[in-house]
Amino acid sequence: MKHTLFIQHHAPYGSESPQEQLDALLVAAAFGQKVSVLFQDDGVWQLLPQQEGHALERRTLAAQLQALELYEVNALYADAASLAERGLDQSRLALNVQVLDAAALKKLLGDQDLLLRF
Amino acid sequence: MKLTLLVTAAPHQENAWHALAFCKAALARGHDVQRVFFYGDGATHGNSLLLPPQDEPDVAQGWRELNESHALELVVCVAAALKRGVMDADMARREDKALANLASGFVISGLGQLAEAMMEADRLVSFPG
Repeated sequence: MKHTLFIQHHAPYGSESPQEQLDALLVAAAFGQKVSVLFQDDGVWQLLPQQEGHALERRTLAAQLQALELYEVNALYADAASLAERGLDQSRLALNVQVLDAAALKKLLGDQDLLLRF
Repeated sequence: MKLTLLVTAAPHQENAWHALAFCKAALARGHDVQRVFFYGDGATHGNSLLLPPQDEPDVAQGWRELNESHALELVVCVAAALKRGVMDADMARREDKALANLASGFVISGLGQLAEAMMEADRLVSFPG
């Protein structure tokens, strides 16, 4: 079984990328791949609670991210530096993610068979 | 080596050109590129109505040539394609649209094709916009 890491690095509503990447990862998980997700750079904004997508006539991404658990995608990570740069408090995020420092991040990336970031 | 390519760059973006050049180089070196998956804005590669100026590269035409010479599968994601106005004849009929515009050489299919190609590939190479 391939270990695949999807790297979410775009803000939630600035483009179609986060939604399309989420769709791709849910399908990969449904196909039985071992999928994990890293939120990095502006992607950490996806983890903010109380998102109201309807204000933009969009689906709320944070609500869809809750579905990851149903697909047994439980390995969720956030980059500590990305959170810190944006002044985000890791104890107040919408998902239960593991926050990784640079060394842990390096190991995570090294452990993967495939990386997806677009 | 078995390669899967994922193109999310639109045809007018630089990475779209890099994807094609990379694919040609990989095939020339004897690597096995089985499938190119066009997703996100990359789905517009399948639009046959694209007409780049004569002094600019025609990336979609380049892919079509590889499809013919190497039987390379060019798969466009259905959800991304519909959202961006790319459809084949069956879809146009079903959606009651006046025309179908999927370029020859390309096929429209689902994200499962990407997942499947990822499982079979040694490397996944992505070309984001």
